[in-house]
Amino acid sequence: MVKKTFTISNAQGFHMRPASTFAAAMMKYPCNVTISFNDKQINAKSLMNIMAACIKVGSVIDVICDGEKENEALAEAGAMIESGFGE
Amino acid sequence: MIKGTAASDGIGIGKVLVIEEHSLEYTPRTITDTEAETERFNGAVKEFIENTEAQAEALRKSAGDKEAEIMTGHITMINDPYLRGEIEALIKGGQCAESALETMCDMFIQMFSAADDEMMKQRAADVRDIKTGVLSILLGIKEVKVSEAPAGTVLVARELTPSVTAGINKDNIVGIITETGGKTSHSAILARALEIPAVLSVPDAASLFKNDQCVIVDGSSGEVIADPDEEQTNVYTKKRSDFIAERKELEKFRGVSTKSASGEEYELVCNIGKPADAVKAMECDGEGVGLFRTEFLFMDRTAMPTEEEQFEAYKKAALIVKGKPLIIRTLDIGGDKDIPYMGLAKEENPFMGFRAIRYCLKNRDMFKVQIRAILRASAFGDVRIMFPLVTCVDEVRDGKALVEECKAELRAENAEFNEKIPVGIMVETAAAAVLADVLAKESDFFSIGTNDLTGYTMACDRGNSDVSYLYSALQPSVLRMIKRTIECGRAEGIPVGMCGEAAANPQMIPLLMSFGLTEFSVSAPSVLKVRKCISKWTKQEADEVCAKVMSLATEKEADEYLSKVCVR
Repeated sequence: MVKKTFTISNAQGFHMRPASTFAAAMMKYPCNVTISFNDKQINAKSLMNIMAACIKVGSVIDVICDGEKENEALAEAGAMIESGFGE
Repeated sequence: MIKGTAASDGIGIGKVLVIEEHSLEYTPRTITDTEAETERFNGAVKEFIENTEAQAEALRKSAGDKEAEIMTGHITMINDPYLRGEIEALIKGGQCAESALETMCDMFIQMFSAADDEMMKQRAADVRDIKTGVLSILLGIKEVKVSEAPAGTVLVARELTPSVTAGINKDNIVGIITETGGKTSHSAILARALEIPAVLSVPDAASLFKNDQCVIVDGSSGEVIADPDEEQTNVYTKKRSDFIAERKELEKFRGVSTKSASGEEYELVCNIGKPADAVKAMECDGEGVGLFRTEFLFMDRTAMPTEEEQFEAYKKAALIVKGKPLIIRTLDIGGDKDIPYMGLAKEENPFMGFRAIRYCLKNRDMFKVQIRAILRASAFGDVRIMFPLVTCVDEVRDGKALVEECKAELRAENAEFNEKIPVGIMVETAAAAVLADVLAKESDFFSIGTNDLTGYTMACDRGNSDVSYLYSALQPSVLRMIKRTIECGRAEGIPVGMCGEAAANPQMIPLLMSFGLTEFSVSAPSVLKVRKCISKWTKQEADEVCAKVMSLATEKEADEYLSKVCVR
């Protein structure tokens, strides 16, 4: 299991577009990907769950990858969040 | 005559088509052949996606990419692996497709509705639409195909669902009437994008009107006339053709820069009262916001709005105008408003009393909350600060010192903001206009508030009918105030705008162009009219008219002369 903490920097947070590109990217990996936010565990392969968590700019989240290709999944997740989803 | 909310300008005359809502009730069953039920569900989803794709395509053509995105969003959401997986699991557990779908959709509707974010709340409406769409297919309900409605149809519905709006096209739908929705609802925005007259919030509309009934929809006044007589039909047919001719003429000025006939460029921005108004400003082709009044945040409540609340509102407006200028005016409130928590005493003469910048500088803690919120919003666009009711240099210096204090705090907190945020002032008192040469050295920009400047200069209350004849921006004294303010600002190289009603007055426009005004800030519906008006004058013509007006001794003479030369 690997885990890293991030701060959401894009202005609109995890709204529709970032959530769907993020979920789609995580789908490629066989491991489980979970976002931990406000004591909630969110399935990061589900854009609906990500959006429903209402993660806004400035929010601090943990991304947890567990299973096959967990390092690759975490690296891509980090790159996406840190780039602000290209906004 | 029936009254509703005027949501999209224009006149529509046609025959009613009522969009009925079908009952989506069903009796839950226990499933034994779960494989066949899963297949039935997947088939319905496939059909839903195909329908939605077709609707998105139709919308892209009729209303543009942004509207179509809502529909493609529905496809993304129904394809969510978690949602689909959970529904399939419920079916495997013996639930029928209808109830499995409903269980999961309702869960998300609840989650999204509970969010404290407007954008997320919208997602609840999306999930509701998805549920209705898939459920209709599962239950074999055929929806009315709006796209196949005959030409001259007036749509009547309880509310416009995205699947209904997607079928709307300008060729057959001439008007829209709904029971729900306000000026900024999605239906209203779409109706305006499609230029279809719409009256929303008409109580019981779906049962009040009958199919094939004749109606007139006046989307400008918010009125609906059922079964009009011949005279009414003639009057409205004329109104309709006039409206279309004017809109066509004005549309030539959409998407172009604001220029005089001789090529001088001006900024043409909008006055707004709340973040949602910024949407209208952008729709009307405003080049930004020249005056964002912040009083709405403070009214009708029992305590001061917090920094977070204010920040969210300012940020929202900044995101809507997308990098274009957003001038936020700090609180302009006094004893004329009843806001108990502010502890403002009733006074004899509130317009000359303890208000606006005077109140704010005495209530520094409260003022700092607003300034911090504006500064933080400046990380999201071209946000500028403007102080109201300035009368002397001390107020500008004190206000700016407070801005610096807030910047230092935010720096220490590692918060993001624009270090070079422009800080300007309203010139709306005679004192500020006379002192404009000195104030220009201390301000990053001026914005002339002609409504108050006229009142203060003429010492006249426009609401008092015995003296209101004095209230005119064409009074020689007021014109001199305006001229001086613009010239002093330009001499120091700062931009000078105008956010009062005079900025949209066709008689004033050539004078303002000649004085050297750089920015016109007007109400959203006036944008194209003002742009057209500016385009009719060359700088030289404007200068000649202005020189003549400035040589006239009375308001009456100026008005008479201008009403002759401004017929263009």
